[in-house]
Amino acid sequence: MNRNVTLLWNGLIPENPIFRLALSLCPAVAVTTSVKNGLYLGIAVIFVQVLSSCTVSIFKSLIHPRIRIPAYVIVIALWVSVIDMVLSAYDPHTYEKIELFIKLIVVFAIIISRLELFASKEPLVPSFFDGLGMGIGFTFGLCLVSAIREFFGLGQIFGQDIVDLKFLVMILPAGGFFVIGFVMATFNWIEYKITGKIPASGGGH
Amino acid sequence: MKEIIKITISLTAICVAAALILGAVFAKTEDVRKKNQEKIKEETIQGLLGFGHGKKAPEDLKIFPVQRYVVSEPKATLLGYLVPLKDKGYALVTVDLAGKPLKAIPLKADAAKIADAGTRDAAVKEALPKDAKATYADTVYVANLGDKRLGYVVPGVTQGFKTFVNLMVSLNPDFTVTGIEITKSEEDPGLGDEIKRDYFKNQFKGKTLEILKTLKVVKEPLPTDYLVALDPSKSKATQDQIGQISEKHLKDDIYALTGATISSRAVTNGVKETVRKFVYRFGILADVMKQENVQAAF
Repeated sequence: MNRNVTLLWNGLIPENPIFRLALSLCPAVAVTTSVKNGLYLGIAVIFVQVLSSCTVSIFKSLIHPRIRIPAYVIVIALWVSVIDMVLSAYDPHTYEKIELFIKLIVVFAIIISRLELFASKEPLVPSFFDGLGMGIGFTFGLCLVSAIREFFGLGQIFGQDIVDLKFLVMILPAGGFFVIGFVMATFNWIEYKITGKIPASGGGH
Repeated sequence: MKEIIKITISLTAICVAAALILGAVFAKTEDVRKKNQEKIKEETIQGLLGFGHGKKAPEDLKIFPVQRYVVSEPKATLLGYLVPLKDKGYALVTVDLAGKPLKAIPLKADAAKIADAGTRDAAVKEALPKDAKATYADTVYVANLGDKRLGYVVPGVTQGFKTFVNLMVSLNPDFTVTGIEITKSEEDPGLGDEIKRDYFKNQFKGKTLEILKTLKVVKEPLPTDYLVALDPSKSKATQDQIGQISEKHLKDDIYALTGATISSRAVTNGVKETVRKFVYRFGILADVMKQENVQAAF
């Protein structure tokens, strides 16, 4: 298979940031009360991840290895601020909905982890696909968790009433931990069924 | 030693480059952002007055902003209201803190100058004595339909669950609440954030000044028939039915949102306070304008 496609697939399932790498669990618990929130945050993360990965990949030779972490943080903060400003100017209605989360992306572990582990060593094109894959994987994780929580907690999907169900604990933070735990366990169980091996924790990081 | 210089230069260069990019983006987007924000504010005000959602505002709808300034003079603190006048001018009507009318100072300004915060502050400062300082406080909106008073839109702030909740309340000429809107809040999604939903906001509709005085938040489930009236988009109830149900529940307290009693209480108190202060201030302003014979445009 083409390496770029492998990288994309890798971020989606085998190294899914939330369920396999267990990174960025804080936002995964905090914002996944409705699919809409999860989707918006996920899309913002895709942009930040891809732009940061590309930037670091292009300028990697100029970044002194001893200050790489602060340099990465500045790159991430730069792109988050740019997206924040552009969105607040040109699409204030969407911005209103994700205003709360967008600034938090600066401290998402998944982004800096991809910069450190991948983009700082690889050329531009693979970095782009790795960032895109990780972003999509993260979005997929958020959407899955928030769909489960929204359905059981509010009886809704995407803000539409489906069943008359109000299991409030699912919407509260504790419910987030439950759902992520169960989905993670399901992923491990599927992998065990397919490969017959007990999965290593944390995807090796 | 050589390495530390290299590191310093490298990090400085990264910071400068990032700052330049951010500065350029800010310069490009700031004006658009401000313009869009003004537009949203205008839409919110019109929506609260009953226009919008496909219903176009009539031609003779006029919305007059009245800015409130806190004027600190060396000896006393006053309040100044920037009132548009009938003959196209503006006047700063000052009142002392006890509500005693002082005087109306004419202002050298036109509509464009008043619309921009910077030039407006300058115009107010120019009208005042040299040693006085004026600080902008807030803006209330007086809406007229032709020559008839349509209502008021009043902004308010309240302490929410974690941060402040900004809201806007619209009142009819008898100071009965006709609607509320949450303009800015950072409540928890799925919980406190529900204050933005229609079924919560509409509970305030129709509450008179008398009812507002004793309004509380109760931790009881929302009656099913009331929900139908509060969220008309989700039910097939006719206008008459909605009116009847709303009438029946008019004197009810506010039903707290599930899992967000603090946010519900915050909004309720915010609305109460906002209306109470506005009615008090507007009463004084009306008295002063009568006494000083200020011909306001509204």
